[in-house]
Amino acid sequence: MDAPQTEPPRSAPSSRRGVQELSDTELVAEVLRKDRKATAELVARHADDVYGYVRRRLAPQIDLVEDLVQETFLAAWGSLASFQGEASLRVWLLGIARHKVQDYYRARLRESEWADDDSAIAEAVEGQDPVEELSCHDAGHRAREVLAELPERYGLILRWRYWQQHTVRQMAFETGRSEKAVERLLARARTVFKKRWNERRSKAE
Amino acid sequence: MSDDPKQNDPLTGIFAAALDEAGAARAPARVKARLYSALLRRQQESGPLLGLGETHGQGYGLCVFEDIWRRMTPPGKAQCINCCGPCHARVLAERLDKAPIHWQNCPYAAFGRN
Repeated sequence: MDAPQTEPPRSAPSSRRGVQELSDTELVAEVLRKDRKATAELVARHADDVYGYVRRRLAPQIDLVEDLVQETFLAAWGSLASFQGEASLRVWLLGIARHKVQDYYRARLRESEWADDDSAIAEAVEGQDPVEELSCHDAGHRAREVLAELPERYGLILRWRYWQQHTVRQMAFETGRSEKAVERLLARARTVFKKRWNERRSKAE
Repeated sequence: MSDDPKQNDPLTGIFAAALDEAGAARAPARVKARLYSALLRRQQESGPLLGLGETHGQGYGLCVFEDIWRRMTPPGKAQCINCCGPCHARVLAERLDKAPIHWQNCPYAAFGRN
C-alpha cells in the first residue's frame, strides 16, 4: 500500500515551525497540552544529558541508570507546570536528576549495615596518601577501578561526599544516623579506598 | 578533617578525575523509546492525549499510521488514543537500539537515528 501523503494543515500560518524549533518554554507548554510530538522532542533533546549525568554518578553500579532516568522524567512531568524558564530546561531536568541520585545514595546507605568491625579495616595500613603523579585520565581510571571493588556502602558514601558534595551533617540528616556514625563510615571508606589505591599502585610499579 | 571535601583532601582531585574519566554517555535508543512510552502512559493517567488533529494542525508531522487514523476518525476522543501502543515500531524500538523502522515522523525511528 502506498503511504498516504500527509496533507499540510489547511489553516497553517506561515510562521508555523517544527517541534524541533520550539524554545524551552514553548516546548513545555506543548508537553503540558499532552502533545505527543512535543513529548518525543523533550526526550530527544534531553535524554542524553540526563542519562549521562546519572550514569557518571552511579558508575560502576549502572544497572539502575535507566530506572533513575525514567524517574527523573516522570517527576519532571509531575512538576512541569512549575517550570518558569528561569533556568534552561536542561538545567532544570539535571536538578531533578541530582535529587534522584541523592535519593538513591540515601536509600542504599539506609539499607546498608554500618558495622564497625570490618575486616578490611583490620588489614588496612595507613600508607601514603594517594598522590597525583598520575595523569588525570589515569587517576580517574584507577579511581573507578577501586570504586568498583569497594564494598557498596563505602563506594556510596564516597561518591555522595565527593561527587554530590554532601556534607557529613547533610548525610547524617538524610540517613537518620549521627554525624559521628557518618564520620566513622567515611573514615573507614577513605582508609579502604587508599589501601586499594596503593595496592594498585604497587602492582603497576 | 574539615567538613569541606575540597580542603586538604587528596581524594578530592582523584574523585574529580574519576568523574571526568567517565566521559559523556549517550542514552541508548531503546532507553529513549521506553522513556517516551512511559511518559505517554503517565500523561494518559490524567486524561487523554492531545488529539491527532490538533497535533497535525500545529504543523507537527504524523507518522503514516497516525495520519491514517486521523483521517478515519472524527475529531474528538477517538483521535486522542495512543496509536503507538499496539504498534510494532514501539515494540521493536523498546528492545533494539537499531530497530528496523524507517518511516517518517515516527518518534521511535527518530530515537534510533539520533
